[in-house]
Amino acid sequence: MLKFLKQVGDYAKETVQAAKYIGQGLAVTFDHMRRRPVTVQYPYEKLIPSERFRGRIHFEFDKCISCEVCVRVCPINLPVVDWEFNPATKKKQLSHYSIDFGVCIFCGNCVEYCPTNCLSMTEEYELAVYDRHELNYDSVALGRLPYKVTDDPMVTALREFLYLPEGVMEPHNLPTNARRAGQRPEEILAQDLAQQVAQEEK
Amino acid sequence: MDQGIDLQQTFIQSLMDLGLPAGAAKTVWMPLPMLLMIIGATVGVLVSVWLERKISAAVQQRVGPEFIGPLGVLAPVADGLKLIFKEDTVPAKADPLLFTLGPVIVVIPVFLSYLIVPFGQNLIVTNVGMGVFVWIALSSVVPIGLLMSGYASNNKYALLGGLRAAAQSISYEIPLALAVMAIVLMSNSLSTIDIVNQQSGYGILGWNIWRQPIGFVIFWIAALAECERIPFDLPEAEEELVAGYQTEYSGMKFALFYLGSYVNLVLSALMVAVLYLGGWELPIPTALIANWLGVGETNAWLEIVGASLGITMTLLKAYFLVFTAILLRWTVPRVRIDQLLDLGWKFLLPISLVNLLVTAALKIAFPGAFGG
Amino acid sequence: MNLAEGVQIVSFGLLAAMMLGAALGVVLLSNVVYSAFLLAGAFISAAGLYLLLNADFVAMAQVLVYVGAVNVLIIFAIMLVNKREDFTPIPQAWIRKTATAVVCAGLFALLSTMVLATPWAISTDATVPSGSMVVIGKHFFTDFLLPFELASVLLLMALIGAIVLARREFLPDLEEADLQQTMLTLPERPRELTPAGSNPGSHSK
Repeated sequence: MLKFLKQVGDYAKETVQAAKYIGQGLAVTFDHMRRRPVTVQYPYEKLIPSERFRGRIHFEFDKCISCEVCVRVCPINLPVVDWEFNPATKKKQLSHYSIDFGVCIFCGNCVEYCPTNCLSMTEEYELAVYDRHELNYDSVALGRLPYKVTDDPMVTALREFLYLPEGVMEPHNLPTNARRAGQRPEEILAQDLAQQVAQEEK
Repeated sequence: MDQGIDLQQTFIQSLMDLGLPAGAAKTVWMPLPMLLMIIGATVGVLVSVWLERKISAAVQQRVGPEFIGPLGVLAPVADGLKLIFKEDTVPAKADPLLFTLGPVIVVIPVFLSYLIVPFGQNLIVTNVGMGVFVWIALSSVVPIGLLMSGYASNNKYALLGGLRAAAQSISYEIPLALAVMAIVLMSNSLSTIDIVNQQSGYGILGWNIWRQPIGFVIFWIAALAECERIPFDLPEAEEELVAGYQTEYSGMKFALFYLGSYVNLVLSALMVAVLYLGGWELPIPTALIANWLGVGETNAWLEIVGASLGITMTLLKAYFLVFTAILLRWTVPRVRIDQLLDLGWKFLLPISLVNLLVTAALKIAFPGAFGG
Repeated sequence: MNLAEGVQIVSFGLLAAMMLGAALGVVLLSNVVYSAFLLAGAFISAAGLYLLLNADFVAMAQVLVYVGAVNVLIIFAIMLVNKREDFTPIPQAWIRKTATAVVCAGLFALLSTMVLATPWAISTDATVPSGSMVVIGKHFFTDFLLPFELASVLLLMALIGAIVLARREFLPDLEEADLQQTMLTLPERPRELTPAGSNPGSHSK
């Protein structure tokens, strides 16, 4: 009889505990209701890509020496370099260059290894097209520069979380000259330089 | 008990004054409240779909529908229009007759149950003596429609979803009915009007929730399970069953399921409001307010204001419960099928039986407080 | 005849036609799933007929119990074991069919003579008797107490029997081979069965 009562008591205890946990969960969800939305209202608002953003690759035709390093370092040998040997100048002459962004994984190896810096990463990421073959960019398309988000009058450019002033969580209505948290790269460089100078003086 | 305004009498009387015979006048009146109720239920669905989207968004710190109408209020209308214009496909090897009949059988009982939802002393389609029993009986027809659509889709997932839905609604109907029975025991009547009247007089203190707290919890859990809301949405658990019995449906037939589920949610919330939260009663007794204002209880203006306040109160209570259901959706994870049946048969059923017994004992012990 | 009576007669005709059609469909259709769904139609039309007789509680109980519980369970069972099989004609099926027809016709004749022979006390007052449920309840606990209690005991026995059947530990001693029938059962992992005669204490924790 007592054993049975103990069982009932345990069961009741577990029930109360379960109810308590559900109540805690409800408190959490209810608390989230009064918080501001964290979403970016794309396409009316866009985040400013960071400096090292790896977007669509930009290609400068005139700088290219057709060395095909980009093809060799690419994980899937993606760039197509179409060149012909020009006997007059005894140099390779580039006729076409293309990268298919439907296949590219934006690893940035080609940009890293390009000896003449003719490849670079842009901040463009809006690559939606109706046919995947449209993503196969030729040298002309690769040479186009993307619009900057900050220059677009239709778009409210928002800073990413890392670029907000210290303690600020909200990218909206930020003064344009608000300084980001921490030191800027040039400040870090200047500090290093100053330190070096001080050490040399010692 | 004051009778409040009686629209039916007034309407029929005015038609008879115009020269219509009594029978014809009543015939003209009869479809009006039904039509009003169907429109009301549909608008209620649109509101609760909008609430569902907005509240879900708020809980997840999103914005939700924003550009379709002010604050996105037209988003559910747009959804509905899209579903109306969508192609109505029937799978090649499905059973076309049962496939069409399934959603219809699911939706009709739910709308029929609105017959017995009261919004005021006389603001009800019909005050049948069976009251809540009609609702319980009608909601037990729904699983047939679910099984039918699950079978007719000729799809394993749909069949499994239909079987799960039927098993779930059968097992949760029993605690639901037992919880209702405890209320009925206290009010000596199945009629929803009588149940609300029994709670009136003491404002918020007279509501059944104080006398039946356990019954309230049982009822709301079972009602959520009947509506197949998360955490009990196993029949349409998308991770396991694609969309359960709705898998093969599109267009208007899918819209019927969608409509049915939300109408059912609002209906359950309304029933909780009627059974446990005092229906159209205000938290402060109306007689008290009338006394403060120094007007008689039979004042015409007071009655009109009281009726509209009653409708508002019922809807407010119901939508508060809809809100908790939506909040629960983002709080609790889906239960497993064995947990679901365990909860129904091993927890809710014994507790509701004990609740019924205790209520009966209390009724005999304290006939004043628990309905003589 | 006023409007209300006309509506009543028309709905009676509709319900009767529905009931007959559904019942014939249950018997005559070869697809068992259709039969099961039509059975629900027959039950619902019966509930409608009860409503016309001012028996609202019986009508609702009919819907709740027969449509909501019994019929759903029938469909459930059919769908769990549904195997599409071609109907194999049984030799000398006509004997069975004639026997069934004779029994059915006899039953029909018996019932119709009973209906015609009974002196029905047709109530003539048009008022709707309210509170049929209260009257039924009073009868249950006074002059019909014994049948009512017997029915509840019967249901309790069925309940316990179902639990015993569902809990496989208490199955009586059966040969393993007997359980291997596969015709209409779902394939199931064979479980070790404890004979009813063995000491149950060794299995309970």
